[in-house]
Amino acid sequence: MARTIKLPVRLAAAALLGVGLPAAAHHSFAIFDHSQTYTLKGTVQSFQWTNPHGYIDLAVSDGPPGIERFTLELTSINMLRRAGWKSSDVNAGDKVTAIVAPLMNGQQGGLLLELKMADGRTLVPPVPAADTFQRSK
Amino acid sequence: MRMQPSSHSLSLAAIAAIAAAMFSVGSAASAQSAAPPDLTGSWERYRGPAGDAATPPPESQPPLKANLLAEWQKRRAAEREADARGVPLATNYTHCIPDGVPSMMSGPFPFEIVQSKSQVNIAQEAYSQVRRIYLAKPQLTLADIELGFYGRSVGEWKGDTLVVDTIGIKDYVKFRDVPHTPDMRITERFKLVRPDILWDEITITDPTVLEKPWTVTFAYRRMPDYEIIEYVCEDNREYADEEGVTRLRLKGEDSP
Repeated sequence: MARTIKLPVRLAAAALLGVGLPAAAHHSFAIFDHSQTYTLKGTVQSFQWTNPHGYIDLAVSDGPPGIERFTLELTSINMLRRAGWKSSDVNAGDKVTAIVAPLMNGQQGGLLLELKMADGRTLVPPVPAADTFQRSK
Repeated sequence: MRMQPSSHSLSLAAIAAIAAAMFSVGSAASAQSAAPPDLTGSWERYRGPAGDAATPPPESQPPLKANLLAEWQKRRAAEREADARGVPLATNYTHCIPDGVPSMMSGPFPFEIVQSKSQVNIAQEAYSQVRRIYLAKPQLTLADIELGFYGRSVGEWKGDTLVVDTIGIKDYVKFRDVPHTPDMRITERFKLVRPDILWDEITITDPTVLEKPWTVTFAYRRMPDYEIIEYVCEDNREYADEEGVTRLRLKGEDSP
């Protein structure tokens, strides 16, 4: 399911035809900022393995000013399973570094793009068209 | 019976037909016994490379009547504009409402076909949607059924093609946001164009809103040994605000 979609091309084709993109998720990813990412260091408070999305509740120790708690939204757990994730991959108490595309409306949440674990693992959720999210330096 | 491709897909379909014929050369005798192909198993959307004969033609715009087409285009433009502003409009999906027939065949997630002599069930992993196609029963009339998400489907094998007739889809269960009346009729032709590539050619007929029947074809590839995963919309934190905009309920916030 983690197919690579070249979004700009598909968007152009969709705009031309007036036809929508294939439904890839339960809501549009347009709620997330495609122009920047936050890098958040912190401690996992919970990893919720549910549909329509998995969630990580993060207590932030280092990140943009004013952010103490952040909700990391993941894809559907079905997509995570197909990409090899397990509910036991992340646990409360884990020290992590998360790269997220923040919500456009300023709420303290965002889409998880990458999760670096203290033991060296880097977990990447199968976000559709992940390459359309510009990473901040 | 061969599928009936629209004119612009003729060359692709012709190539697919030739390929299918090549595969069947060695089994001409068994084909004459008229045993239908076995579609049982898991499938996912197949989007092959350019020029691949097993990739169906791109989706066409719905042939809506002029006034409805203008409204539909306006709605699509509003959706794109809202997306560009980062405030996408909520859809049925946002509310964890399944997409029904025929949208579930667009295959957001894999689906499973279980086939018997009398019935074909299709279970879409997303939202655990199930549709049932009865092979040994007549179609009913709208007066005898209640409108719903999956309608009532009956099917029949015509040679190597499963032809399915569906009626009874609820008005807000829309495919590509296209409006329809209770009289909408959906005809599907399921056919293996390769041993592991399945096509569903979907033709929607609804003369009140469509100038002519609208055909869209999806291709799927077999997923050997894949087991469908359960899907329950257990904690939907997305909601639509008073302006219909999708928002995320954060931990500790009250439900709207």
